[in-house]
Amino acid sequence: MIEVSDACFSYGEEDVLDHVSLRVGAGERVVLLGPNGSGKSTLVRLINGSVAPSEGSVLVDGCPEGLSHLVGYVRQDPRNQIVSSLVSDEVAFGPRNLGLPREEVLRRVDEALEACGICELRSRATTELSGGQQQLVAIAGVLAMRPRYLVLDEVGTHLDAAARRRVSDVVERLLARGVGVLEVTHDPLALFGAARAAVLAAGRVAWQGTPRELFLSDEALALAGLGEDFSARLLGVAVRRGLSVGSRPDSRALASHLRPGDVCSSGQPRAKALFRPYLTSRMVFARGSHFSLRDVSLDLGGVTLVLGLSGSGKTTLARLLAGVLEPDAGEVLLDGRPVRAGRAGLSFQRPGDQLFCDTVFDDIAYGPRARGLSERRVDMAVRAAAHDLDVGERLFDRSPFDLSGGQMRRVALAGVIACEPGAYVFDEPTAGLDGPSRAEFRHLIRRLAAGGSPVVVVTHDAGEWLDEVTSVVLLRDGAVVQQVEASVAGSSPELFWAAGLEAPPIVSLRSELRARGEDA
Amino acid sequence: MLSPRVPGAFAPGDTPMHRLDPRAKLVLLLVATAATFAACSAWGLLLVAAGLAVALVLSGTSLATVLMGLRPAAIILALSVASNAVVLVGQPGFSLDGLARGTLVVCRIALVVGFALSFSSTTPPPAIADGLAALMTPLRRVGVPVGAIAMSASVALRFIPLTVEEVDRIRCAQRARGARLDEGGPLRRLRGWGQVLVPLVVGLFRRADELASAMTDRCYTGERTALLGPLARRELAVLLGAIAWAVAAALL
Repeated sequence: MIEVSDACFSYGEEDVLDHVSLRVGAGERVVLLGPNGSGKSTLVRLINGSVAPSEGSVLVDGCPEGLSHLVGYVRQDPRNQIVSSLVSDEVAFGPRNLGLPREEVLRRVDEALEACGICELRSRATTELSGGQQQLVAIAGVLAMRPRYLVLDEVGTHLDAAARRRVSDVVERLLARGVGVLEVTHDPLALFGAARAAVLAAGRVAWQGTPRELFLSDEALALAGLGEDFSARLLGVAVRRGLSVGSRPDSRALASHLRPGDVCSSGQPRAKALFRPYLTSRMVFARGSHFSLRDVSLDLGGVTLVLGLSGSGKTTLARLLAGVLEPDAGEVLLDGRPVRAGRAGLSFQRPGDQLFCDTVFDDIAYGPRARGLSERRVDMAVRAAAHDLDVGERLFDRSPFDLSGGQMRRVALAGVIACEPGAYVFDEPTAGLDGPSRAEFRHLIRRLAAGGSPVVVVTHDAGEWLDEVTSVVLLRDGAVVQQVEASVAGSSPELFWAAGLEAPPIVSLRSELRARGEDA
Repeated sequence: MLSPRVPGAFAPGDTPMHRLDPRAKLVLLLVATAATFAACSAWGLLLVAAGLAVALVLSGTSLATVLMGLRPAAIILALSVASNAVVLVGQPGFSLDGLARGTLVVCRIALVVGFALSFSSTTPPPAIADGLAALMTPLRRVGVPVGAIAMSASVALRFIPLTVEEVDRIRCAQRARGARLDEGGPLRRLRGWGQVLVPLVVGLFRRADELASAMTDRCYTGERTALLGPLARRELAVLLGAIAWAVAAALL
């Protein structure tokens, strides 16, 4: 049993955790929800023993020490977790540090790779793997130490649906073996199969209960930042009508508790397609001997959603559209002229990759300064962009790397908006953001599009965007499978299957409900 | 992520050289280097070159890779050959003797680079660190922190690709926000690199911090289980053969 009792923690003056108490038993999964900056990551680090509470205690199976051995910690970004350049060496790292005999280390490496289903990756280089594979390697590295508990800190953030499913399969098997799991997440679907849920808000445990109780309580959902979340709201409606919160989300069971009226779009006006300016691309892009993109021809106006499996060329396309990469053949035009970096703004998948200045202010100001604006106008642009993204001015002097994941994301996005480019390309803009921040960001996109700029959103979370965008581009193996109207994509799971993707839950739900309607 | 292959970077594969124990390969590299500098006759050097040919074939490394590896030093090597060949003191002119001497040195350097590349492209960095630790084990008795040194070597090797990645990331981030890094004259470009340098150093320190905390999370203390088993007979035989070859090259 992990027992956190009345734990407090502060960074300098700022209280991050305020008398937090939480329990996780052996073999049970507890989901920890809460808005960005509510102290979730700090709590996780407390449980893993990498920081000590200033007041209160953290006991794991009665032990106050050696927590890093008892509790395995998997981070949001596997790149920050992997210490070796070779998969087998990475997995062996923990057991070797424990001083186990050679045979035991080798046995545990086999066992951990097997448990994660990645035996075939054994002698690969860790840097060459996809994000999903890296996350599984990171988990294997933790499992090889045979921890009694596992803390997962938003591990699904950078993964697509298929990779997330693989991770949750691994976790399910561990639970069956008696490992206790604390999962930090923003995803309401993670509540299925959980024993309990806890909501952390402003450093305090604001709510605790079963997943069912959470879906029934508007107050708890609002505290968790899921008040505006479309799927959380739908689940709330279905649970009220008698849906049981089973071990896995099941769109068929969910559909039987919903009516077609429940799943209509949120009522927000969809961004209109404008005729000008247009982002047009006709290009081939090759890297090394194989093509990462070939024969991609697109006309993009309004808000376009780009979907595809990891490795399908989404990020390459985003960089080409923003002019950061140049196509080997063909061209990308913005409003009739070749696009150049800076004329189109690009935000990166990982906010940390995009930030490079010493202070938040300088980072947001980089773009305006590069355009040669006067210091006064730079200052105005920075303040306006910071205001748009809700970056408080008290953060201006902090280093962007000291911020929480959600704040970092907002600073990175503010840096793009401050350049006032003619088109926007956002690569996974809402990954790691909580519900309210996601809603605010979608609102911002609507405003940018209303101002006439083409906006491209690259994502693997299609569900939350389908009601916002004008058209959807599906990529597979570096080629465009289809470009369709968003309203068509919103109710046709087949389109997603054609691109090798799983249909977002909301899409399968709509098609399920439609099928029921036709039956009746 | 696709990154262009740097000559000498580890390339996964299954050649006889890949399968050889890293300790044996480290010793082989030492022996081959000694042989290259000990061989003084043309026949001796030819024998060493034959050894390199065998190593290249067994490791699946092409001659082109070796030449690529030499390219960064090409100007210095060419200058040293030329300066040996040109006589300025006394009777200025051209010295065949000097030319031969310079060429000999360049040949030796090329041979050593070839050996080093066939070693590094078939041995993953963690294995190099493990091999190093195993070979240094006797030093443990006199109080040398062998585990820590081997880990430092491994981390240092890991930071080579990380540095390349970090430079890419920063340049990409700056370009995305309108910086013109690769336009303009050489001076402007140099200034562009200056803009990359500061965030690069800061970024690398940050990655190092993250790496350290990730290591602590997994109970790293400095002493670790050695993963290499006893040397196989085959490896001992290869080592003996290599020593005989080196002695022959030196004596010829």
